Amino acid sequence: MHFANLREGDALPEIVKAVSQEQIERYATASGDHNPIHVDREFASGSQFGGTIAHGMLIAASISEMMSVAFEANWATGGRLKIRFKAPVYSGETVTAFGRIKKIETHAEICTVQCAVGVRKANGEAAVSGDATVVFPVE
Amino acid sequence: MDYSTMTSGDVVSQRTHTLDTEAVSRYVEAVGDESGNRLDVAGPELAPPMAVAALSLTGVVNDLAIPGGTVHAGQELEFKRSVAVGETLACRATLEHNSVRGEWRFMVVRLEVDDSRGRRVMEGKSTIMLPG
Repeated sequence: MHFANLREGDALPEIVKAVSQEQIERYATASGDHNPIHVDREFASGSQFGGTIAHGMLIAASISEMMSVAFEANWATGGRLKIRFKAPVYSGETVTAFGRIKKIETHAEICTVQCAVGVRKANGEAAVSGDATVVFPVE
Repeated sequence: MDYSTMTSGDVVSQRTHTLDTEAVSRYVEAVGDESGNRLDVAGPELAPPMAVAALSLTGVVNDLAIPGGTVHAGQELEFKRSVAVGETLACRATLEHNSVRGEWRFMVVRLEVDDSRGRRVMEGKSTIMLPG
């Protein structure tokens, strides 16, 4: 995606991830979040979820990856994300991060791109929804 | 931990972390995010911005001793500056809201991350729901 060609309504490049229990455990190690709802099958089976679920930030990472692919370094230096976690993602599920440009504004050589973003499960259920905004200088 | 005594403005975590090659590799392997490699910049290797966010939440999870069954309900993040691998980051988490609704305690925690030169690299808010 070239910034000069951005248009309102454009879709962002989707990111598809299969979420395994092994991956959830790797994320627990990487993040230091060993909440048993993620890593203890016995505890999780007795919880309101009925099984282990992925960390919200593991799922949200796919949105950030999508934004980094679409907007390159601008995401790391001028990205804003506001999301709600709508449904748990269980180990073994596949999720897709998606987004669409809602609005593009340019003022004083600064471009602001607002996007609707989310993560959906294979059955179409929303796992995450929200907004992402990128602000960067116009070259 | 007695969460009922905690009030807005309480610092719940203050930690310093070095986002070294090993930490970034662990994160990238866990999430499968290789977008950092796509950043076309001269200079040092950069960490994925969400690795910084994950690091900032490490202190919240552990210093707040959040109980099993806690749910992450919402997240706001603002990335202000890219972070080079090897950078040492100061992460601070401050309680912004604490209330009970039904069976759940709702807490909003403000996150602030500065680099070794004192420059803000990320800030945000986490909304978590604690059982009981």
